[in-house]
Amino acid sequence: MKRNMFKSFMLALGAFSLVVVSCKKDAAKPTDNHDHNDSELITTLELKFSGKGVLGNDTTFVVMFNDTDGDGGNAPTQFDTIHLLKNSTYKVELTLLDKSKTPKDTISNEVLEEANDHLFFYSSNPSGLVNVLITDKDSNNKNLGLKSTWTTTNTGSGKVKVQLMHQPGTKDGTSATGDTDVEVDFEVNVK
Amino acid sequence: MKNLYVLVQLLFLFISGNTIGQNCTHNFSGIVSDIHNDAPISAIEIYLKELNKKVETDSLGRFQFSSLCPGKYTIVCSNRDGYKPIVKMFDVQENIVYNFKIEVHLKELAEVKISTLNKPKDKLSTLNATSLFGDELEKNRATNLGDIVKSIPGVNSLNTGNSVSKPVIHGMHSNRVLILNNGIRQEGQQWGSEHAPEIDPFIADKISVVKGANSIMYGSDAIAGVILVDTKSLPDSASLGGEINMVGNSNGRGGIIASFLEGKFKRLPAFSWRVQGTLKQNGTIAAPDYLLINTGLKEYNFSYELGWKKKNYGAELFYSQFNTTLGIFGASHIGNLTDLQRAFESKAPLKSTSFTYAINRPYQHVEHELFKTKFYINTGKVGKLTLVYARQYNWRYEYDKHGPLNNLLASKNNPDLEFHLTTHTLDLNWSHARSNGFKGTVGLQGMQQANTYRGRKLVPSFENASIGIFVVENWQYKRWEIEAGLRYDVKQLSVYQSEKIVDNQSVLVKTSHPFEQATASLGANYTVDTTWKCMLNLGTAWRAPSVNELYSDGLHHGAAAVEYGNSTLNVEQAYVATFTGLYTPNEDLHIEVSPYYNFIQGFIYRQPTPTPVLTIRGAFPGFNYTQTDAILRGVDVYTSYHFTHWMEWKVKGSLLRAWNQVANNWLIQMPADRIETEFGFHLDHNQRLKHIYIGPSIQYVAKQHRVPEGSDFVDPPSAYWLTNLNIATHFRMGKNHAEIGMHVTNLWNTRYRDYMDRFRYFTDAIGRNISLRLKYRF
Repeated sequence: MKRNMFKSFMLALGAFSLVVVSCKKDAAKPTDNHDHNDSELITTLELKFSGKGVLGNDTTFVVMFNDTDGDGGNAPTQFDTIHLLKNSTYKVELTLLDKSKTPKDTISNEVLEEANDHLFFYSSNPSGLVNVLITDKDSNNKNLGLKSTWTTTNTGSGKVKVQLMHQPGTKDGTSATGDTDVEVDFEVNVK
Repeated sequence: MKNLYVLVQLLFLFISGNTIGQNCTHNFSGIVSDIHNDAPISAIEIYLKELNKKVETDSLGRFQFSSLCPGKYTIVCSNRDGYKPIVKMFDVQENIVYNFKIEVHLKELAEVKISTLNKPKDKLSTLNATSLFGDELEKNRATNLGDIVKSIPGVNSLNTGNSVSKPVIHGMHSNRVLILNNGIRQEGQQWGSEHAPEIDPFIADKISVVKGANSIMYGSDAIAGVILVDTKSLPDSASLGGEINMVGNSNGRGGIIASFLEGKFKRLPAFSWRVQGTLKQNGTIAAPDYLLINTGLKEYNFSYELGWKKKNYGAELFYSQFNTTLGIFGASHIGNLTDLQRAFESKAPLKSTSFTYAINRPYQHVEHELFKTKFYINTGKVGKLTLVYARQYNWRYEYDKHGPLNNLLASKNNPDLEFHLTTHTLDLNWSHARSNGFKGTVGLQGMQQANTYRGRKLVPSFENASIGIFVVENWQYKRWEIEAGLRYDVKQLSVYQSEKIVDNQSVLVKTSHPFEQATASLGANYTVDTTWKCMLNLGTAWRAPSVNELYSDGLHHGAAAVEYGNSTLNVEQAYVATFTGLYTPNEDLHIEVSPYYNFIQGFIYRQPTPTPVLTIRGAFPGFNYTQTDAILRGVDVYTSYHFTHWMEWKVKGSLLRAWNQVANNWLIQMPADRIETEFGFHLDHNQRLKHIYIGPSIQYVAKQHRVPEGSDFVDPPSAYWLTNLNIATHFRMGKNHAEIGMHVTNLWNTRYRDYMDRFRYFTDAIGRNISLRLKYRF
């Protein structure tokens, strides 16, 4: 009888210890754990143009798509139209930013580091409105697209689509493979 | 408590009238069923010693002695060869219902039927319930819970490919379907359409689906129905036993080993125990024409259970853990609508692959832990008081297709989205066995849960608390069984969100949503004669809006949609009528027809925004959670017919019509009409192999053309035919029992896409799979 009591006690103890050992720790009390420095957003696309401004003088100007709270949530806070002159050539530098962080993170630097897996793609609609030529290359001598020259001939208006394609291992210079990380349709006015 | 019981009895008095007779008018009836899985057993001899009367159970396991005078009787239920018959004494002063549980022959073990009469425990008896066990459960057990239950008419699954499958009852899923894992409300992130229930099918001995508003005993939410995952009861006699299951799948080159060991000590007769574990892995899954990149899966689960049983009280302890890592088909995580368009237009998925067991991004890692303790004590002769406490901890990590570009962040390899949900539940029930025709239960239930998240914002952190009280009484009189239940719930959802006050400074703001509502149910069973039986249930059910419906704000990757919650949403109120007509004119024919009608006030669904949502990834379709009044009605049919003793024919079918009253249009994402037929051949003349079952089946799924125009990226896929084949054999190995089975799904390697599979945008469904299974019970 005594043995039995002891045995059952040991059994219960064993079972209890199993439970204690295997139970996982409770999560903390609800907080807003949206840790901005631990996740990555692309909030802003900037195009820095160097060339002739609308007044005909040599200048630089920045055109921006800005959605500081990321996808969804509030609508973009800034979405500029690109104003260009006819028969002109512009040097364009593209910058991607994460403005949800302090200090803001320059995502395009990371793209440059992984240049062999990324391609910026520019397409003009109508097609003759702006002629975009990519001027930088990755280490495999394929286009990258952080730097480009934009050439105009006639006046008109339309759109230029700026796409960032993520193409790990499949980069072939076209936009037909990979996943789209960025896609912005800028309004363009050529005077 | 006793007062409450009296009150309940009074409530019923107006229907009960004078139930006590003095003459020889008493009935003694019951059902004989399998001790292991509750399957009804026919042709069992029941002997009434004092009157020297013998009857045999019918095809549904029923027997009855009528016109008994008050007095003491001895009933002998014959048992399997080599087992002692069960002898019971009864003092008959009223109608008595007693159900015998016996060991059964091998043949009957194999020849299980799905039937409404095999009632799971703890459900309203006036609702249609179907249980899967034995071969019906075994053949699909190597898949997952959602794919297992869809063999029941009226039940479908909402899939995200092959490894994420959610049960859909009468067109409703996620928060509208309640899953009870071993008696405990499963609390995971069930609101998400790509969040599958975190349950190992090998933990279950029986899986049942109760269709209709079965909310009384389990609380709000069960608008569509309840899925009960029941473990085997612990051994009753001193023994050491167990089971080994091995499954191999051709598609994905997958394997499963699942086993349990159970016993009871001779020296400690009060204790019984079981340990159980499952290991599961598969590699790349194949569609008929191509491999599906990154569709591997790894899973390990285990549980243990300890029972302590005295004559009038006892306790149980249960612990289980579920751990899975599952790859999400790579081509389904898309950057934006242009990518989606490209995926639609491509004949084969845009990413090809070779076979591998490796799991890469995107993938999910999910763990679920359940700890449960139960105490019970018999209160007097008829009552039983039960207290159950459970703690669940659910842990979900989701990894997007690409890690961050920032090298420092990427090296951390943090999940892009992370949820931690802890739930405590406490249930106190008192039930009384049938006396004066009444049986019933009163109960009190409490729940408290807290959810936190990290990473990409989809839903905020929240706390959820609820308390409910219910009473249900069942009254049996002659051919009638009447059941009524009432419940009242109070719950509160509190959401925590940070609000910016100035730059770099924010405060946590708590927003509370209180909800309270009553639930009622009234049902009746009427046995017309031995061939006809009807069940009718009228019930209400309600559901508080879930956190994603209230607060979703963000891009749903893979779904290619931006969802906006609406924090002003109200309770969803359902009025549900279900009817089942059962016709069994003889042992060979069984016809079951179950029409249903759901009117849901404030049905919450996703309505497209008038203009697309602009993001830096391009424009996405936007959806607002909104409410409408909806009508979901349909009919489920199940019939079986034995041409001869060795050949049977089964037909299952379901129709559903789901209408949005406000928009005056069809509701989106509802399963298409379907019908399935199976020819079963029982070959049991062979001496060595005791019983062989061969069952080819053909399924037809119609095209779902009842969809709102222009609400989806592509048209619903075409209708399709599928052929499956199930072969099973049961035999003895020495003193032990063994089973070998083969289940071939999509026998002809048909190319098809199902409307309820989210991957239909990107790929054909899974091709042929040959699943071989071996079971050894000792």
